[in-house]
Amino acid sequence: MTRIPGLRRLVRIDRDNAGVDRAVDDELQFHFDMTVRELMADGMNSNEARREAERRFGDVQRTRERLATIDRSRVERERRVEWWGGFTQDLRYAIRGLRMKPGFALAVVITLGLGIGANATMFGIVDRLLFRPPAFLSAPDRATRIYKAVTARGTERVTSFVGYQVYRDLREMTSSFEAMTPFYDNKLAIGSGDATREMDVGISGSDMWKMFDVTPVIGRFFTDAEDVPTNPTYVVVLSYPFWQTQFGGRNDALGAKLDIGAAKYTVIGVAPEGFNGFARTSMVAFVPISAAATAADMGRPDDPWYSTYYMAWLEIFARRRANVSLTVANADLTNASVQAYGRQAAKVRGRLQPVERARPRAFAGPVLFDRGPKEGSEAKVATWLVGVAAVVLLIACANVANLMLARALRRRREVAVRIALGVSRARLVMQLITESLMLAILGAFAGVTIAQFGGKLLSSTLLADMTAGPSAFADSRLLAFAIGLALLAGLLTGLAPMMQAGREDVAATLKAGSREGTVQRSRLRTGLLIGQAAFSVLLLVGAGLFLRSLRNVQELRLGYDPDRVLFVHLEDRGVQMDSAHKVTLLQSLLARAQTIPIVEHAAQNLTVPFYSTWNFSIFVPGIDSVHRLGDFSLQAGSADFFQTMGTRIVRGRGFTPADRETSQLVMVVGESMAKKLWPGEDAIGKCVKMNADTMPCRTVVGVAEDVRRSLISEVDLHYYMPSSQFHPSSGGLFVRTRGAADQNSEEIRRSLQALMPGVSYVTVTPMTTLVAPMIRSWKIGATLFAVFGALALVLAAIGLYSVIAYNVTQRTHEMGVRVALGAQARDVIQLIVREGLRIVIPGVVLGAIIALVAGKWIAPLLFNVSPNDPPVIVAVVVTLLGVAVLASWLPAQRASRVDPNEALRSD
Amino acid sequence: MATVDLDLLQGTLDLLILKTLTWGPRHGYAVASWIRETTNNRLQIEEGALYTALHRMEKRGWLEAEWGLSENNRKAKYYVLTTQGKKQLRSKTAVWTEYASAVFQVLQTS
Repeated sequence: MTRIPGLRRLVRIDRDNAGVDRAVDDELQFHFDMTVRELMADGMNSNEARREAERRFGDVQRTRERLATIDRSRVERERRVEWWGGFTQDLRYAIRGLRMKPGFALAVVITLGLGIGANATMFGIVDRLLFRPPAFLSAPDRATRIYKAVTARGTERVTSFVGYQVYRDLREMTSSFEAMTPFYDNKLAIGSGDATREMDVGISGSDMWKMFDVTPVIGRFFTDAEDVPTNPTYVVVLSYPFWQTQFGGRNDALGAKLDIGAAKYTVIGVAPEGFNGFARTSMVAFVPISAAATAADMGRPDDPWYSTYYMAWLEIFARRRANVSLTVANADLTNASVQAYGRQAAKVRGRLQPVERARPRAFAGPVLFDRGPKEGSEAKVATWLVGVAAVVLLIACANVANLMLARALRRRREVAVRIALGVSRARLVMQLITESLMLAILGAFAGVTIAQFGGKLLSSTLLADMTAGPSAFADSRLLAFAIGLALLAGLLTGLAPMMQAGREDVAATLKAGSREGTVQRSRLRTGLLIGQAAFSVLLLVGAGLFLRSLRNVQELRLGYDPDRVLFVHLEDRGVQMDSAHKVTLLQSLLARAQTIPIVEHAAQNLTVPFYSTWNFSIFVPGIDSVHRLGDFSLQAGSADFFQTMGTRIVRGRGFTPADRETSQLVMVVGESMAKKLWPGEDAIGKCVKMNADTMPCRTVVGVAEDVRRSLISEVDLHYYMPSSQFHPSSGGLFVRTRGAADQNSEEIRRSLQALMPGVSYVTVTPMTTLVAPMIRSWKIGATLFAVFGALALVLAAIGLYSVIAYNVTQRTHEMGVRVALGAQARDVIQLIVREGLRIVIPGVVLGAIIALVAGKWIAPLLFNVSPNDPPVIVAVVVTLLGVAVLASWLPAQRASRVDPNEALRSD
Repeated sequence: MATVDLDLLQGTLDLLILKTLTWGPRHGYAVASWIRETTNNRLQIEEGALYTALHRMEKRGWLEAEWGLSENNRKAKYYVLTTQGKKQLRSKTAVWTEYASAVFQVLQTS
């Protein structure tokens, strides 16, 4: 086929809309001219010829438009094909280039992998805590968790935990919601005999099913008629995995009987896989609250669980009507709260403060607990860590950009040659970006792999009870997030060499040897290193602050020894026992526990730190309204109670076997309580009355050290009474072991279980498991800040090392000259180390300044540490400088051994 | 002399153009004249339709266009048959011949 010279250039002109139109016009014009010319040659005059030509052609205007449309779409397609061709070529070129330098590729992929992995791990956690609504939730934007607030002693207390009567009040008195349900989850004994296990059960009203887009896998869900508090129906909906493992996924599971807690339930349906109601962890079954609460025998016969105002154990979830705004719904809720407060005041007869002072209100908060006003400090720390992970990624990007820059500098002659040969700069830039994007995508896969392991490790060690399901770190959202990050990283890292390529002076580069020009240091690379050093300082300061907080928390005296104490809980599971029976059982359990060799002390208890509290009205002669001074919580214990817990008696005495039901009524008070009630006086011998002013005096016989049992950061106002004198048939035991408590729990459980009648059972829990969640936020902060900080430090060190090492190789010639002129090895080393420090010191100073300024934002998350803690900052600065010296000393060593002969002879 | 309106025979125009181009690159005017001369003006071809067909086939990749100089030294758009175009010509010729002979057979039988 013949080709006309100059073709390409002419074709390229048609590449825009105007060009296309012009080409069509040219073509048609030529056609007309030729036709007219021919017709005139045949003897027509010019007018006739033109008319004939137009007749032959047909509708010129329409054809012209049609041709332009066709051509435009053709050009569009050609452009796409050409772009794709260029792209695949770039890709091939990039792959070839990287295969020639596998070390470089590996370094980049690992660096980016670590950065992306850190981010993906944090994303997995934060997504769970803050962003992902419960699975299957319908209309998530209108679904809410209801919060209740009451003002006491001038401060408003917000909580999402309420009793069933509060739910009934709000349901009855509001009209803004189309569905409302109580929900809580509880560990209940499931099964019978040896197969009995405690498992998580979701407990709710029938409206829960309306709030989710779920249909049963088989059977059905429970209905309103099956959730009547006064007439409970014992039906259960199984979770999908429980149905699979316990019933083999068979249809005849429907109608089967299942022992849950103290009752027998009939299986009526199976929920779809992944459904957990409003719970954050995996549930095995779902039962109506009427059945579960009745079977658990909650409340008292004269004040049952569904109408008492004295218990708060569930949360309310509701869906707003589509035509009701949030403001209106909140007003509705508050209105209802005020009404309900009146109802409550009437019921409890004047024990409530007046409504004007209490200012009760309720509001619709986010479904996700950690999005709401009572968010856990874990969520706050996690949010911070997202920022930290982002910084790690930035440092990783800076490192990679540095590596790419070094490569670009090495390839500048090649680039200059290509520009001179007419390759467009845009094309070169595209190629650089293709290369960095490809590396970044590889990094993303490395990162997701890291997140898999990191996430699993993290959720099993630090967040055991906060995330449900094994899939938390392996889903499409995470993958999409990682790929997104990779694209960003690819662009960021491609940017640096791009700027270089854009500025290149072709002629100068071509003229210069490889030696010349490269000696001038890249300001961009130095800037990146300074940034890295500053970021490393920030992260390490954070790590130091959290580590100090964690140590402070762990060294904090709680007022008892959680490491040595186990808590024994009795679960009657429906076995009926009167008080006398219970007292006997508790006493025999106590006696048995004291005979176990590894048990040092054992004592009866009533409440358990970080697990249960009991507040009671107390009256003290000479003090008006004691309750205005604070919340006083109580404990009852048998003889040896204080020895068992390890709580020190500061003055007076603890309890002895001589404190009996019939002996003098006594009490031990905590130091803070003593100070609050009788400031400047001796508490011993004072009188405290329980429940009413008319009750007999309890004499204070001892003062105990303060305990922290509801918050780590605050001591409680706490007092103790002998078990024999206060609810002797309630509570469980504390057991103090000779060794670490958690290793002996099973032996103790087996020994005590033998005494339990029928299906009733004991659980034995180390106190550390109750304390651990309290200090978890600092543990997470310390661990992750330390990990990320170390990562940042390593990356920064590698970055500095590679830049110094690169500069040293480029300056071999200069070093040769210096050595030839008589420089000693020491001089050369000093020269280079000083250069390294010149880069790092501004970064360290910058980082330290930022850390000092930013400190105030992180202060609320720390524990007894100032955010500007001098030891931490000094330690970090010294570490960084040390690392900088080391990173530049290694290449300096090499430079000092330069053979001047060789260095001067080589180009 | 009877003339035939080519609109009746769909796809025939494409076929004619492809055939014309087997003798080498031509511009639109040359294609139109060649068809007219070869058929002794028996086929009425609207030239607008001819150009539409040319552009459409260029888009489909059957033809390639190149700008060049005409016999009288003017810039003109030349069309060249591509490999794909040649393939189209072969298959279309086969189909058309089959079709024409079938129609002819029907007309003969009366």
